[in-house]
Amino acid sequence: MTTTLLAAEELNPLVPHTVEIIVGLIAFALLFLLLRRTVFPQFEKIYAERTDKIEGGLARAAEAEEQAGELKRQYEEQLAGLRAEAARIRDDARAEGQQIKAELRAQAEEEAARIRQRGDEQLAAAREQAVRQLRGEVSGLSVQLAERLIGDSLADDTRRSATVDAFLAELDGLAPRAAAPAGGAS
Amino acid sequence: MTILATAPAPGFEAPGTEDFQLPPIAGIEGLTKPVLQLVLAAVIIYAFFAWTVRRPALVPSKGQFLGESFHGMVRNSIARDNIGPEFLKYVPFLTTLFAFILVNNIFGIIPLIQFPTFSHPGVPYALAIMVWVIYNVVGIRRHGFVGYLKVSTWPPDVPWWVRIILTPIEFISNILLRPVTLSLRLFGNMFAGHLLLLVFILGGEYMLLHSHSILLGILSPFAFGFGIVFTFFEAFVQAVQAYIFTILTASYLGAVLAEDH
Amino acid sequence: MITGNLNVIGYGLSAIGPGIGVGIVFAAFINGVARQPEARGQLQGIAFIGFALSEALAILGLVMAFAL
Repeated sequence: MTTTLLAAEELNPLVPHTVEIIVGLIAFALLFLLLRRTVFPQFEKIYAERTDKIEGGLARAAEAEEQAGELKRQYEEQLAGLRAEAARIRDDARAEGQQIKAELRAQAEEEAARIRQRGDEQLAAAREQAVRQLRGEVSGLSVQLAERLIGDSLADDTRRSATVDAFLAELDGLAPRAAAPAGGAS
Repeated sequence: MTILATAPAPGFEAPGTEDFQLPPIAGIEGLTKPVLQLVLAAVIIYAFFAWTVRRPALVPSKGQFLGESFHGMVRNSIARDNIGPEFLKYVPFLTTLFAFILVNNIFGIIPLIQFPTFSHPGVPYALAIMVWVIYNVVGIRRHGFVGYLKVSTWPPDVPWWVRIILTPIEFISNILLRPVTLSLRLFGNMFAGHLLLLVFILGGEYMLLHSHSILLGILSPFAFGFGIVFTFFEAFVQAVQAYIFTILTASYLGAVLAEDH
Repeated sequence: MITGNLNVIGYGLSAIGPGIGVGIVFAAFINGVARQPEARGQLQGIAFIGFALSEALAILGLVMAFAL
């Protein structure tokens, strides 16, 4: 009875085997420490790297987009500035051109006026000279004519008229000679 | 208490608890098959994981993918979902636990080994006590001794007359019974599963070779066939038991780490 | 002759209740996940704790079957 009872105790499957407990715990502990030391950090590192790669890539893309936007904004700003400056330069140039044109015109008009005035003056001078000369000559000639008229007074009317004609012809011959010096002076 | 009845097949010794008493190997006291299996399991697991991370790369090779999906499964679907924000600290322990139990269980259907290590209750006891110690220590560190007792046995918003019954039940189930059920669930499933396979295979063998009955000999393939079917079933049960042990460990840790009950 | 232990019949009886209980626990779990798939992680932990609690009775039955 005792032996069968003992045998039954021995066979009871709920009774643990001490050796198994010890070996199992040691095996488990060693396995755990080894894996925690060498293997699992690698996995975690890979997960972290992978996450970083994906999320980092997204972040980098966003950053690049932002930079591109910033650059574009800068360019557009610069472009707008340049355009404004170009417009300003054009306006300046136009204004300056107009000013120059106005100045030139004024100058030209002044010059023209001056030239015309001088021409007028010369003309006037020439005329005056001509008149003066003419007056002098006319007086001389008149005296001459009068001398001749008086000298020939005794002659007939025919001779008198011939004398006048000759005198006038002489005057005609003189006239171009008097006009030529006036034209050359202007 | 023993009852006696007429046996259907005289001479057939049904497999029983004595089939789990294994003789020492090479006459060395204590060196039995399960002991060797424990060591073998540790070696296999370490070799497997070391192989999977021998050349770690962002784009995993086939081996690395295997190790990663195993670790990732424990990490994400067991640890993260059950423990909460501080899960990362416990992932190595849970992964080792899962792998160790899984491999030792699967030994039950590996040809030539065919003995689930945990159909001997020693290591399940040890593992369950280890888990018990860990979650108690974690809980006491988190909440203090009284705070921990309150978290585990003092459900909030309960009228006092319910509390009279509920608190002892919570105490028993959360603190006393958990290691018992944790270990015995694993042990019981492995033990019963192995016994089930023994019944079919030894029964088939008896029918074929020792019954000296043509009818039983013809019927024996059915016994072997069922043996094979139940081998697959056992594979499933073994994996599920390893999973349950691990997920319960994670749940217990999550419960003691939670801020409120 | 069948020799056996009446305790095992007791264990069989003790497994009925937990069997039903475990079924109910997982039925509720499946229901919950079907209604709110995103709550799967949370429900899983609760389901397994409930399962462990129900299963405890069957395991106690198993212990009694061998121990008494």
